[in-house]
Amino acid sequence: MADALLQMHAISKSFPGVLALDQVDLEIHAGEIHGLVGENGAGKSTIIKVLAGVYRADGGTVMVDGTTLPDVTPRAVHNAGVRFIHQELHLVQHFTVTESVFMGQETSSLLGLSRRDMQHRAEAFFRDALGTEMSGKILIRDLGIAERKLVQIARALIDGAAKLVVFDEPTAPLSSGEVDKLFTAISKLKERGIAMIYVSHYLAEITDICDRVTVLRNGQNVQVFDKVMPDSTDAMITAMVGREIDALFPDGTHQAGAPMLSVTGLSHSQFQDVNLTIHSGEIVGIAGLIGSGREELIDTLYGLKKPTSGMMVFEDAPLHLSAPADAVAAGMVLVPRDRRHDGLVLDMSVSDNVNLASLGDISTAQIEQRGRALAKAKAVAEKLDIRPRDPSATARNLSGGNQQKVVLGRWLTRGAKLFMLDEPTVGVDVGAKVEIYALVEKLAADGAAVLVSSSDPGELVGLCDRIVVMLRGKIIAHVDTENLGVDHLVALTTGGQSA
Amino acid sequence: MMITKPPLQRALAILPLTVFAILFIYLSVASSNFLTPGTIELILKQAVPTVVVSIGLATVVIAGGDDVVSGGIDLSIPATAIICAAIIADQVTNNGASILWGLTLAFGAAGIVGAINAGLIVWVRMTPLLATLATSVAIVGVTKVITESRRISIADPVVIFVRDGRILGVAAGVVLTAIIALLFWHLVHRTRWGMNLQATGGSRDAAEISGIDTKRFVVQSFLLAAFAGWLASMFVLARGSGSSPGSEESLLLEMVLATFLGAAFSPRRVVTVWGAILGAVLVSALSVGFISIGVNVFWTGCIKGGLILLVVASASAGTDK
Repeated sequence: MADALLQMHAISKSFPGVLALDQVDLEIHAGEIHGLVGENGAGKSTIIKVLAGVYRADGGTVMVDGTTLPDVTPRAVHNAGVRFIHQELHLVQHFTVTESVFMGQETSSLLGLSRRDMQHRAEAFFRDALGTEMSGKILIRDLGIAERKLVQIARALIDGAAKLVVFDEPTAPLSSGEVDKLFTAISKLKERGIAMIYVSHYLAEITDICDRVTVLRNGQNVQVFDKVMPDSTDAMITAMVGREIDALFPDGTHQAGAPMLSVTGLSHSQFQDVNLTIHSGEIVGIAGLIGSGREELIDTLYGLKKPTSGMMVFEDAPLHLSAPADAVAAGMVLVPRDRRHDGLVLDMSVSDNVNLASLGDISTAQIEQRGRALAKAKAVAEKLDIRPRDPSATARNLSGGNQQKVVLGRWLTRGAKLFMLDEPTVGVDVGAKVEIYALVEKLAADGAAVLVSSSDPGELVGLCDRIVVMLRGKIIAHVDTENLGVDHLVALTTGGQSA
Repeated sequence: MMITKPPLQRALAILPLTVFAILFIYLSVASSNFLTPGTIELILKQAVPTVVVSIGLATVVIAGGDDVVSGGIDLSIPATAIICAAIIADQVTNNGASILWGLTLAFGAAGIVGAINAGLIVWVRMTPLLATLATSVAIVGVTKVITESRRISIADPVVIFVRDGRILGVAAGVVLTAIIALLFWHLVHRTRWGMNLQATGGSRDAAEISGIDTKRFVVQSFLLAAFAGWLASMFVLARGSGSSPGSEESLLLEMVLATFLGAAFSPRRVVTVWGAILGAVLVSALSVGFISIGVNVFWTGCIKGGLILLVVASASAGTDK
């Protein structure tokens, strides 16, 4: 097509064991805002990284303005006028706006930096190109997140050579008021004829601002929407999800018992006024995108972050958490999302890791009884089917699924009552997933309360009895998973449908 | 939307300045001749070596980030100054060589130190604190070998000019140091190179995304620091009329104190060249002031140590988490 600014044709990329991109086509027209959507793992970030020259594609071609890039390197892409607005801000806290905008591209004369000139240019750019007034003298650390995002955009575009700007989840850390500020800037850029790729999980934003949308699923582009209407979200979700719930999940229905943990009016800078009750014997899911406050809520429930207000009651007694140790003492435990860093001491043995939280039980007069420790670890390894069965194996060498079981096993030995699982199956193969699900099911059947926080909607629908949906720091829905479709849950978390 | 800091953090940030202001007021009241032109010139002359090494340290901290443990720091600058002074004194006094030859040899030695530091930190990936502590100890050892742990006097006219000479009525050492300070200030705060150096220390990721070769800047900062050590050696020689072993210790203490104290002077609360210079003058003023009111020399060390703690604690409390 004549007006195609960027044509990525038949791009393939595989990583050991995974075909991340399978003959993907992506075509961006001049001056359009093009949405790129898909579930986690669909290949969005991979194709962006191929375009950025970070990954080298195994096959396919990249054409900008009708010229094929012989070698897709960061420099070649930059020279072709493609700019990236990364999810992370990457700004220096104590730099001024001007210094940040011109970082790495300062102008100077014989007498040194042309500070005034740079400041005028930066301020003019904010005014004319981004539609906002910004003083070039303010320090980054005195700005809100939305303004910092604009600074990041200005830095990428100040040289005036940008033809295509790639936004990667730009609104994730923003509150809804701040999103408007960013959208003003984006529409201003569009007026200037700059094309944009807009990667986001927030489908409501996609339908708001995008002219066309490409949907990726499992490394393939499954559909291109040439017309985007407010009610296109349903069709997009169908294209994104495109599957039924796998038969990975045990079909348990649970008898919810007495309330285990009740939270009222819990607030923090990243979430507001959360009310939530978890009963013994039930599995409750928390759904929400990055920036929804889901991670922060879990951290707060475990005492890693302090709430600004609100109350927690655990088994009828008020609960005050000043550190995770308080939560553990009460019987609330966390299996963290980053188990390799936060969940395990990688260089210790399976046995040591299992016994880490219950050293009192295996010690006599503060002296660890190695024999008792090993016996206990062996019992846990049997029960959870940890492979290798050898409790002296080093935790680092276990597969992701087995590492996760070790973390769970540690808390089992403590007799915890409430299990919080944060992204329990990230980086775990299907077989281990099934085992972890069965284990979670068994925890609930034995009367424990389980809270699962996950970015995988299928996992939540399949595993949980009910799901709490968070969007931009607020709980927007409590849904029962009986008769709940994955697409419905996706619609709720992405703001594609109100509850 | 503006973000304001909690009051405790803000209070901690200005605590060092407050303490220094109180000490200063106390000294000028307690000692009648503290703020006379004579004393002020003495303070400046005493400050000169500290100013120069502090400028070097400021450059490294600016390139490496101002986290006292994981950021940039170079503890070997005073030792570099001392070994350069020893080499020059040894060449001129013991070997009868010209001062130019001594300076050249010393320059080479400083370059080697800078290169070793840069190598250990950028390629071996050692923590700057440990790497430069180790090189510092090693340099002090080599210095002892050169001088056999003895004082070497020097009476070269250049050294005497730096010590006693006057340029436009001002002590020569002070004028020369002012020129050095201006050059460094221009380089670090008024050129593209300097902005990129600051970006490197401010956020390694941000700098690299902006196409800045951060390794290059870290390497150059350690070379510049060694260069500052070399420059300082002339003032060390002038101040002591020769090289004396062991003088690196007090210089080290004053350098660290001055550089991080300087952050309190900067409107952005970060280490700057200007801040380090001001800090060094202040520290020197305190030393002179304490002597003039008859405080025991041993207590002076204790007070300085306490001030370092205060300054460093305030720096880490003021850091955004």
